[in-house]
Amino acid sequence: MLKLNYIKNILKASSIILLVFQLSCVQYKKRENIIVASAGKIESLDPAQANTLRTLQILSALGDTLYKINNKGDLLPSLAKELPKVSENGLLIDIPLKENISFHDGSIFNAEAMAFSLNRFMKIGTLNYLLNDKIEDIEVKGEFLIRIKLKKPSSSLKSLLTSVNLTPVSPNSYSNYKDSFNNKSFIGTGPYFLESFNSSQQIIKPFNKYWGKKPLNKGIDFINYSNSSTLFGAIKTKEVDVLISNSIDDMQRLTLNNMVNKNQLKSGEGDPIEIGYITFKSNKLPLENKTIREALSYTIDRELISQQVSFGTREPLRSIVPPHLHNNEFSPWPKYNPNMARAILKKEGYCQTDILSIPLTFRSNVPADKLLALTWKDQIKRDLSDCIEITLNGIESTTVYKQLSEGAFEAVVLDWTGAYPDPEAYLTPLLSCNEIHKNTCIKGEAVFSGSFWGDNQVKELLDKSEKLEGESRLKNLIKVEQLAAEGSAYLPIWLVNPKAWSLKDISEPEFSSNGLIILKNLKRD
Amino acid sequence: MSSKKELFKYILSRLALFPIMLWIISSLVFILLRVAPGDPVDAILGTRANELARESLRIKLGLDKPLINQYIEYLNQLIHGNLGISLNTQEPVKIIISKALPASLELAIFSILIASIVGYLIGFLGAIKPEGKIDFWGRIFGIGTYALPPFWAAMLIQIIFAVLLGWFPIGGRLPPGAIPPSPITGFLILDSILNKNIEIIFSAIKHLILPSITLGILLSGIFSRSLRLNLEEVLKKKYIEAAKSRGINDSRILVKHALPNTLLPILTITGLTVSSLIGGALLIEITFSWPGIALGLQEAINQRDYPVVQGIVVIISSLVVMVSVGIDIAIAYIDPRVSY
Repeated sequence: MLKLNYIKNILKASSIILLVFQLSCVQYKKRENIIVASAGKIESLDPAQANTLRTLQILSALGDTLYKINNKGDLLPSLAKELPKVSENGLLIDIPLKENISFHDGSIFNAEAMAFSLNRFMKIGTLNYLLNDKIEDIEVKGEFLIRIKLKKPSSSLKSLLTSVNLTPVSPNSYSNYKDSFNNKSFIGTGPYFLESFNSSQQIIKPFNKYWGKKPLNKGIDFINYSNSSTLFGAIKTKEVDVLISNSIDDMQRLTLNNMVNKNQLKSGEGDPIEIGYITFKSNKLPLENKTIREALSYTIDRELISQQVSFGTREPLRSIVPPHLHNNEFSPWPKYNPNMARAILKKEGYCQTDILSIPLTFRSNVPADKLLALTWKDQIKRDLSDCIEITLNGIESTTVYKQLSEGAFEAVVLDWTGAYPDPEAYLTPLLSCNEIHKNTCIKGEAVFSGSFWGDNQVKELLDKSEKLEGESRLKNLIKVEQLAAEGSAYLPIWLVNPKAWSLKDISEPEFSSNGLIILKNLKRD
Repeated sequence: MSSKKELFKYILSRLALFPIMLWIISSLVFILLRVAPGDPVDAILGTRANELARESLRIKLGLDKPLINQYIEYLNQLIHGNLGISLNTQEPVKIIISKALPASLELAIFSILIASIVGYLIGFLGAIKPEGKIDFWGRIFGIGTYALPPFWAAMLIQIIFAVLLGWFPIGGRLPPGAIPPSPITGFLILDSILNKNIEIIFSAIKHLILPSITLGILLSGIFSRSLRLNLEEVLKKKYIEAAKSRGINDSRILVKHALPNTLLPILTITGLTVSSLIGGALLIEITFSWPGIALGLQEAINQRDYPVVQGIVVIISSLVVMVSVGIDIAIAYIDPRVSY
């Protein structure tokens, strides 16, 4: 009897506790804004300082660019009235601007404002070297006409003008920030204005006087969580409406995709813009020997790695430019062929007594890199243990970036996302070199990428492509990539698509060609 | 010399050592950060920036100056109470700390509260009936919670109570879209009370429950074990036997005679735990996306944001020293036998 009372009391106490919990739960009001979650804090909303995908994502909704690139790779005017007019010598670019566009502070967007923003970026922008290497001067030729004077002809500049970093800001509101960053506010011309900002949450609302297509929602709340599990849990518990894929672990990606298949979530996918690859340091033996690098390019089973690491969500890649940017399938790197690798290595004196030892470095804070390195190591052990041995070395990413150009790594797993959807945005940062000595890059991007691989023909072709347009430019860049494959200083592994998942009552996320969600198209069904 | 004078002298000596200790800590952090590979310029510009851009940013951030000049300038600023400006955001470090520290302290206070209630209760009940059921399960609980990896426990609790049951929010300090009250103290619950914002008070408490319970439960094991062991030892003392022989009842012996004598080690352990929590509980903060000082420190280290790392370490060290001096004073006040 006593025991029964005891149990009853426990049950009563538990019920009261549960009731208190439920009462303490503030019921969520019907949400007006759409909540978009991703990882990583935003410390600044200044386009001159923006360098993370999350910041660019918000800026793309708060501001407009002069041009946009559609999914076919065509340049389309946005704030510009028409396509840029390039002078015969290729040194002058005239850009007529649209009229009757106003900033969020009510001031008028015109050539003065555009020139102010470009000059400001060139002066203080953290990525200003992208423009400063190309632009001589910016002139205001009329109220709605600007002229860009180039140092040398540059066909890639037009693509660069689609960069979110070059979104114009109001000279009125930024008069005190000509030489410094304005971190906590943003006054642009975009479909949304910034309602509130702190590093972990940003709220944007539709701008009533927006010149273009109006947003289909009543506002967006951006929030950040510090890890993949929390982000995953947040969409599962419907705490957030949309989840951006930038920091979601592959296992959770797979679960989310399964939920999409079961009609529990919706998802949208953009064109792939991120490539994963291994860089080989080509200025020191044994990898100075091109034949050995070539042998290594046969050793990687991309399909196996994609399955083991990402359950097939990362697409195997045999080029350093996402194939869709060439407008046709082009995969110059060889397929997995361990017998071919063994044959080449035998010719070079390995596999009998000598085993080729490759120290492979990966970024210890990037889970996919670690899994890639482990899988490749085991795959080599399975297929080519008589010829190659891989030793692993995990280093935190900040240290890897610092030591890359110092030649600290024989082989290192990295990734790259082009600043704009163009083959040049992948080839130049990996291959360009200003000073070459006996196939070793002394000065240039190839040094920063850690390969130190230089090729005079590649240099000539890259320079030539700046003077070409359209199909002939693309063909020229394909030649560059073919040479890069022959040089084997890089080993492309996979391609990553930007992806987002949304709740069932939210529309499917759509992506622009630069991998950003088109936020104004999100709506509650 | 009276014991009060001795204590006063001791406190003065500890306070006199305070600036020396801060100088040593801040100098060590300054040197270690510069020795560590990685560069704030890389973190801001990326590795692709050309030499000109890198050099101009280096000049702008003052990183072009000789290390000794940077060090002297840093110490000079520190003496004047200026912790500098973040290299990454150009925001004063003081502001960054004033935003993050209250979040960590709020979590620490609630966790210690939970750990004390749960831990001491289990320890006390176990000590009353040694080798009983409560004592047995209390010991299992104590050892178990001590052995649990914090990140694993946090993730498990998050999955069960936030994802599967949906009783609590998954992370953060407030629900998405909620506007925090205007900051007065930085402590969200306190600010909500001062702003009379009932909705935010409930939301803030609800967000605090999972991380503080996780941390509290993990810490309670140490508390329960230490109380249990100390109480067991005290209960074996001769003066307890003497009290029993005089016919004093068990509960009075426990509360009036045994418990006060176990306070010293308990206070020391609690003090050490508080000190360790001032710097934030990194794994808990990461798992629950709690915007505390530990998370801020981790991000600043990743970005090689020297002033932020230095500022946070200096402030945390100061608070730890103050807490430990406070504990020493409390011990001296409680136990007159303690001499210095």
